[in-house]
Amino acid sequence: MSTDVLQKATGLNFELSEEQQLIRDSIRDFVERHVKPGVKERDTSKEFPHDLVKKLAEQGFMGMVHPEKYGGGGVGHVSFCLAIEEIARWDASLALTVASHTSLASGHIALAANKSQKEKYLTPLAKGEKLGAWCLTEPGSGSDASGMKTTAIKKDDKYILNGTKIFITQGSVGDTFVVLAKTDPDKGTKGISAFIIEGDWDGVESGKKMEKLGMNSSDTTEVIFEDVEVPEENLLGELGRGFVDTMKVLDGGRIGIGALSVGIARGALEESLKYSGERKQFGSPIGDFQAIETKISNIATEVDAARMLVHRAAWLKDQDKPFTKEVSMAKLFASELAVRAADEAVQIHGGYGYIKEYHVERFMRDAKLMTIGEGTSEVQRMIIGRELKKEFWG
Amino acid sequence: MKFYVCIKQVPDVDAPIQIKNGDLMQDTDRMVLNAYDASAVEEALVLTEEHGGEVEVVLVGPDKAKETIRKALAMGADKATHITTEDDVDYDSAVYANILATFFKDKEYDVISCGKQSQDTDAGLAGGMIAQHLDLPYATNAVGLSIEDDNLIAKRQGDSGQEIIELPQPCLVTCSNDMNEPRIPSLKGIMQSKRKPMETTALSDMNLDESALSAKTKVTGYMEKPEREPGQKFEGEPDELAQKVANLLDEEENVI
Ligand SMILES: Cc1cc2nc3c(=O)[nH]c(=O)nc-3n(C[C@H](O)[C@H](O)[C@H](O)COP(=O)(O)OP(=O)(O)OC[C@H]3O[C@@H](n4cnc5c(N)ncnc54)[C@H](O)[C@@H]3O)c2cc1C
Repeated sequence: MSTDVLQKATGLNFELSEEQQLIRDSIRDFVERHVKPGVKERDTSKEFPHDLVKKLAEQGFMGMVHPEKYGGGGVGHVSFCLAIEEIARWDASLALTVASHTSLASGHIALAANKSQKEKYLTPLAKGEKLGAWCLTEPGSGSDASGMKTTAIKKDDKYILNGTKIFITQGSVGDTFVVLAKTDPDKGTKGISAFIIEGDWDGVESGKKMEKLGMNSSDTTEVIFEDVEVPEENLLGELGRGFVDTMKVLDGGRIGIGALSVGIARGALEESLKYSGERKQFGSPIGDFQAIETKISNIATEVDAARMLVHRAAWLKDQDKPFTKEVSMAKLFASELAVRAADEAVQIHGGYGYIKEYHVERFMRDAKLMTIGEGTSEVQRMIIGRELKKEFWG
Repeated sequence: MKFYVCIKQVPDVDAPIQIKNGDLMQDTDRMVLNAYDASAVEEALVLTEEHGGEVEVVLVGPDKAKETIRKALAMGADKATHITTEDDVDYDSAVYANILATFFKDKEYDVISCGKQSQDTDAGLAGGMIAQHLDLPYATNAVGLSIEDDNLIAKRQGDSGQEIIELPQPCLVTCSNDMNEPRIPSLKGIMQSKRKPMETTALSDMNLDESALSAKTKVTGYMEKPEREPGQKFEGEPDELAQKVANLLDEEENVI
């Protein structure tokens, strides 16, 4: 047994296919034309950009990885990463909207739903006509999701759902909610199930918008469920399998968070490269000082490394190979890099980095979510450790 | 109606270019659809969406240029012909015009459109030359196109207004990039582009004679733009400085 990191990806090929290049170039053009203008204003106004989401949907970017027969794009996760990175390069909030919508709520439905549920719910989500929100976290249970208090108790041919979810992305703008709840509170993780809930049903209430450090134009709210009557056919996946599916959904979601982190780090790098060539002190561009050059070289190296980790995880998923450890490595490394790179970018910009006229202070605020959402860094290390021990200790 | 749009793969204008010992060093990984041609494709798509018909793109270039054809197909063109050349040919505009005119000789069409020039050479010759070979009415540098009866109406931009030209079809027009904002391929368009017909013809199979394929003009080298002379710097008190600058503008430069 060896820890050769390439053991699951040996046929190395660093070239993007023609299709992947076209996808990357198209989304890059889209970002240049529609996303970059107004990104600072959206950060300040904190308004959800419905118009941009609509445009992204028209371009087919709200459900790229889902099957074409359910309104998706039918492309692989490497292409998805390319798209998320391009969006996050300028607007991490928007990238979070796209990534969470695609991988979490839609992703859970794509993973576990039956045919008629997919037709009814996945198709409008994948087309971007509806927005998805995925409700796992509760005030009392974050990293330890199994500690959730939300219950769904069977009553005749319905489940009655009660509980409060917190930090829900698209919590107030979402149309379709995937909610994790205990169907059998005595059975631990085996008593957790998933449900598809429509936002306009009685008893579904979005709480107030949460004021955040960053990711300002992404929508984050509490969602409260009070005696919500859920028809039996809206049970998503098998009864009692909700937690197992949740772990799989999170594995998939971490690809997007990894790519989002790479996008932020690349933004920090490119803005720093630009600024350090323009800004002069002591008679020369600050980029000519070794101290600054070193920072930039380090970030550039790590951005490439992070992207490769993320693409490897995406590729493994597309090959239907196990990727739990690899995606946790990718998410861990990329997210911590995003924080570090944004911090260095502010440092390189000096006082100008600290003010809102430049982009890098926003990168710094946005980046911090990356080490928290969809499993904190500590949790990623737990997963990597657990997987390593499984491989080595058996 | 049938539109043919001639497209070219050119280096990305944002990619760094270096001149070494009179040679141009380019990042061949960063090649794009010529921006003027993208406008020509866009306009052809808009007009066929309005009046019905079909858009076919034609590209003369090496194998690698297929990716650029894919882009035009992803934008919405219906089909493509790729006339393949060797990787590094030194054809001038006249040779490209010979090749394309030969291709069009036995084709039926209403309009052939081209970019008004290509971003790499800015020569702006091919369109006019093709029209000349095919004996077609043509207009250059159009900023707008429309169809009225069986005529193509081309608008050209002047300093103080627009010139409106009527061309009987079949005809040729070259397009400015001020004409429109070329659409960004959607994911669906990208996926569909794989399934669209693309015909590949080797240039060597087109039976052009030697002289039609030999460039009459030759690029002999590249030079850096000469460095600009540094401006003058003055130091001193504001009123002295103002006086100095005023004198300079008045006496030496004769501006005032
Ligand atoms: C902007 C935003 C958007 C979000 N979107 C969603 C969403 O759409 N849907 C959703 O369900 N959730 C969402 N979340 C919730 C997010 O996934 C959780 O915040 C995250 O999982 C951490 O949970 P917690 O906040 O309860 O922290 P806690 O779990 O309380 O952790 C606190 C600290 O303790 C550490 N810790 C916890 N357990 C251990 C351990 N065993 N060993 C070592 N350290 C440990 C953590 O790493 C962390 O540093 C979002 C959060 C934010 C901020």
